[in-house]
Formats: sequence, C-alpha cells, structure tokens
Amino acid sequence: MTEIKLIKLRKEFNSLVAVNDLTLTIDDGALISLLGPSGCGKTTTLRMIAGLTSPTSGEIYFDDKLVNDLRPQERNVGLVFQDYAIFPNMNAFDNIAFGLKIRGLSKEEVKKKVLEVAELLNIKAILNVMPRKMSLSEMQSVALARTLVTNPSVLLLDEPLSNLDAALRARMRAELKRLQREIGQTVIYVTHDQLEAIAISDKIAVMNLGILHQYDTPEAIYNKPKTKFVAGFIGSPPMNFIECTFIEEDGGLLDLGVARINVSEYKDVIKRECSSAEVTLGVRPEDIRINHRRMSENSVEVRVEAYEPLGSEAVIDTELGGVLVRITAPITFTVKAGDKAYIEFDRRKIHIIDRKTERVVI
Amino acid sequence: MSLEETATEKQTLAGWVLILLGLALVMFPIFWILSTSLKSIGEWVTYPPIFIPERLAVENYLSIFTGGALGGGFVARVPNVTKSVIDSAICSVGGTAISIIVGLLAAFGIARHRIGGEFFPIFLLSARMAPPIVAAIPLLILYSIIGLVDTHIGLIIAYACFTLPYSTWMIASFIEEIPRDLEDAAQVDGMSTLETHFKVTLPLIKGGIAATALFIFILNWSEFLLALTLTHEKVLTIPVQIKAFFTYSGQLYGPQSAFGVIAIIPLIAFSLIIQRHLVRGLTFGAIKG
Repeated sequence: MTEIKLIKLRKEFNSLVAVNDLTLTIDDGALISLLGPSGCGKTTTLRMIAGLTSPTSGEIYFDDKLVNDLRPQERNVGLVFQDYAIFPNMNAFDNIAFGLKIRGLSKEEVKKKVLEVAELLNIKAILNVMPRKMSLSEMQSVALARTLVTNPSVLLLDEPLSNLDAALRARMRAELKRLQREIGQTVIYVTHDQLEAIAISDKIAVMNLGILHQYDTPEAIYNKPKTKFVAGFIGSPPMNFIECTFIEEDGGLLDLGVARINVSEYKDVIKRECSSAEVTLGVRPEDIRINHRRMSENSVEVRVEAYEPLGSEAVIDTELGGVLVRITAPITFTVKAGDKAYIEFDRRKIHIIDRKTERVVI
Repeated sequence: MSLEETATEKQTLAGWVLILLGLALVMFPIFWILSTSLKSIGEWVTYPPIFIPERLAVENYLSIFTGGALGGGFVARVPNVTKSVIDSAICSVGGTAISIIVGLLAAFGIARHRIGGEFFPIFLLSARMAPPIVAAIPLLILYSIIGLVDTHIGLIIAYACFTLPYSTWMIASFIEEIPRDLEDAAQVDGMSTLETHFKVTLPLIKGGIAATALFIFILNWSEFLLALTLTHEKVLTIPVQIKAFFTYSGQLYGPQSAFGVIAIIPLIAFSLIIQRHLVRGLTFGAIKG
C-alpha cells in the first residue's frame, strides 16, 4: 500500500561504503528481492528503509513523503529478522501481542487481532508455547505473525527462510507468496539465495559491494543480465566465462585461442559497444550442445574432465584451451572423464561481455 | 553389562572422586574455622589438633557481640563486632548498588553504542591492573581535603569506583549475548532506544546482573586495604576488625573464628537467594538460543 523510492541512498561505515548511491523505485504492492552475496549491502539497505540505520546521504520516500527523519515506528514498517528476534521470555501470544500493547490497544482488541493473525498463519495451537520449545518453522511463523499483526504498510523480510531446511523453505516460500497476495503489502525481501528470489519476486535488485547491478524482472535478470556479476551470480550451475578476442574476419569472429567461432550477426553491436577487442564470451551450461562427433563447422573440440549425472540431466565438466566449460546435457548422453567430445554454443543465447567495463553488451 | 557401560561407570566414579577431592580442598578451611569457633580456649592451638571440639563453646559467639571478657585460663577483652558488621553491610551494599547501577548504564553504552571507542573497555579494566595501594594513598589525601576520611559515604564511593570496571565488563558481556535484533524489533514496534534497553534487554540479563552483584558484593565485603587506609574508628569493617583480635594477651582464635563464620553467613545467604539466577548467569553462554 506504499510506493517506496530510494534516491542516491548511501551508507558509509568509516571507510567502507556499504551502500553506494542506490536509486530504486519499488511499486506499491510489489514483492521485490534484494539479492546478492553477503556483505553486498542488502541488509543495510533494508535497515535504512526500516529506519534502524540512518543513511550517510540520499533520500527515502514513502509515497512521495520524505521519511529520512522519521523513527521506525512512524514509518509503519514491519521487519522480520533473519534470526527471528523473538523475545525468549515471552510465549507466542505475548510475542505477537508485543507491538499492539506498545500501541496502546485494549486487551480485547489485542486478543482479537492476535487470534486473527494466528488463524492466518496456522499457529493457534502454539500460542501458549515458549520460544525455546518451538521448532524453527514455528518461530519463523511467530516472527511473521508478530510483524503482520500491526498491519504495516511495508513488510521487510531479512533472509527469513535461511535457517530452515530445503523442504520447509519451499513450503514457507509458497506460504509467503500466498500471504502477500492476500494482504497486498509492499514487500522487500532480502536474500542471498537466487532460486528463492527468482521464485518469489516481481522484481529483483541484484547488488554487489554496495552497488546495484540490475533491477528487473526475474526473467530479464536471467536472460538479459546487464553486468558480468549478474550473469555469473544468477543460474546454477553458473554461466561459463571464456576470455577471447574479437577479430573482424569472415564477418566477425571470436578467437578463443584453440578455436574460433563465427559471430557475424553481432559484429556491429560489438564494434559499437565494446571499448576494445578484448571480450569475454558468456554462455550458460544449458545453452551448449555436446556430442561425440563434430556437428558442424562451428563445433569445438573439448576434453571431458568429469561427468555428474543428476537424475533428469547430467552436468559435464569439459576443458577448452585451459578453461573449464560446464555443460548440462540430457541424461541419455554419457561420456567418461578423459573422452574427447565436441561442443557447440547456441549463438542466439550467447552473451558478450566487455572485459574492461564488465558490461554485458549482448 | 557391556564393556561400554562399565567404562562409563568407571568414569562416573572417577568423576565423583575428583569432585569430592575438590570439595574437600575448598571446604576444609571453612570446616576448620567453624570447628575452631566452637572450641574452648584450651583447644585452640593444641597438638595434635582437635577436629571436633568436646564441648560447643558458644561463648565465643556471645563474647564478640557483647564485647565481654572471655574466661578460662586467662582473661581477655574481646572486641565488640556488632558495629563492624553493620558498617560492612552499609559500605558493601552501598558500594555494590552504585557499582551495579552505574556499571549497567556504562555497559549499555559500551555494548550497544560503542561509546568511547574500541579500546575503552580495555582502558577501563587497565585501571584495575595497578596494585590498589597505588590509588589508596592519593585517595586518602584527596579524602582528607574534602572530609571523606572515616565516613561511610567515602568508603562506599571508593568501593563503587574500584569495582566499576568489573561490573561494567561483566554486564557488558551479558548484554552482548542478547541479540541486538530483539531491541531493533521492539524499536520497529515503537519503543525508544532507552526503552528497548530497559524493557527488552534488561529482563533477559537479570541472571547475569545477579551473578555480577554477588561477585562485586564479595569483593567489597572482603576488602581490606582501602578500609584500612580510608577509615580508622568511626567506620570499621569486618576485615579490618578481624585483624584486631591480636590482643596483648595473645591471639583470640576462638572468637576470631566465630567472627569469621559470621562474616561468611551473608555471602552464603546471598548466594542461596539468587542461586537460581546465579546458575543461569554463570552458564549464560551455554544456554543461549
């Protein structure tokens, strides 16, 4: 119910720039993720939006209202912490009621609201339980209930699922998404788990070392990464990077050292966008075809280093001129380490990265 | 019975033997003081020593509170200790209370706001690295200028100051054990920073504060040097007076031991009262989250 605008938001801790001039608009009622490795500034950003950390410079707007100088409780935000921050000396009911009591609601109102939210999250049965006797998922639900009960217009989640095991995480993820649709709050979700971010978000902001690399839909982040960092961070197994040189022969070639591949259709873009001929070829494991025999004149010979069957598909590590190239292939294709094989890049899906600026030009 | 079980049982037995040995080591002096406090004059320094007195010489206890004479082979005046028990209580409780209150505030400043910078806690503790006598003499001179020599308040201030580094350190470490997120969560819900300290974190470190208070109280209750330097007659604490049992007619071991037993009682009582918190406070790290 709130649109959030961050303008050139910056936070410095002594000499460290935790968040570097971040500009971001979060639509009303959207669920967005702040995604990045630890130390990328995502939690700091979240704390600045919550009002727990004051920015060094920059502005935060909630619905065109500058909130920089507002205290957390005046911003009407809810924050769920990574370690839940449940008060260990109170049972579930009192934990959930905590914020309502501070706001001075009557006993009946508090009870009514707590029961309502407990119903919503399916935790009515544990309202009398003390935190030390709760399971992690119960603690997680209580933490969420405590935040939702005050009906914040912005919900901030700081890696709320990272303490749960994989199966539970998937369930809670679906649950969170259902809740968000039901309540319609603006949600900012901090995570370092790319799958979680892709599964849950309307939009993802990928950050690294305090810098926003890309803010886009999950599809665009995956298919059209803007920087080498985004290209490498999203996707599992990660994208292959092969350093090569662009040469203007035969309409445009990428020289990989041991082989050359024809990229004539991208010649103009490369010439226009790249600062030099030194580029990096980026290609996802699933965008490489592998075969025992040469498929066409664009096939490149590689040596198989490892073969890892994963049920429906196999991950094959190959060596191409001293560089590791990882390929996912149908499980029906089998090779063993030491074999010779031929690979071919899907030219419609390759990325070409300017090595100096680390910008993805294609 | 399997081999494994036998091994475990042997271990348990060995554990008990060790515990008993340790207990004997710690408890023997206390037993000895208790035993001596109930011995008649003739039994104090006999050889071979008497462990269990033949007759319970209750007069040792009576004499130190009446300041009466102790009969027997010789007559000696026994000092009256009532006043020193009261003086010790006033100074120790006062010093401990101030030390804990100020220490608590300082600990929040250090643990939650990094007041004074990274090295401030070390700096604070380093004040206690010098021998106390180094500070005692200048303190005596200062006190004589402002008229605090031989007063309760003077000794209370000295006790509070000398134990403040310990109370600050201990309480700060207890605060640091409580996740900061709890305070942040309460703040998002509308509490002020100060409220989050005292309404969220403080109830969670009660055990730690009890343990700290006991520790500081023991330090103050048994403190000798400062009391000896800063007070002479209007204020007289137990450790200073225990020394006064060397009289012209010899050392009064019986009454002195009785006094020693009296001096231990408050510590035992205090520990028992806060025992529940004490175990929690002293094993805090182990049961965290």
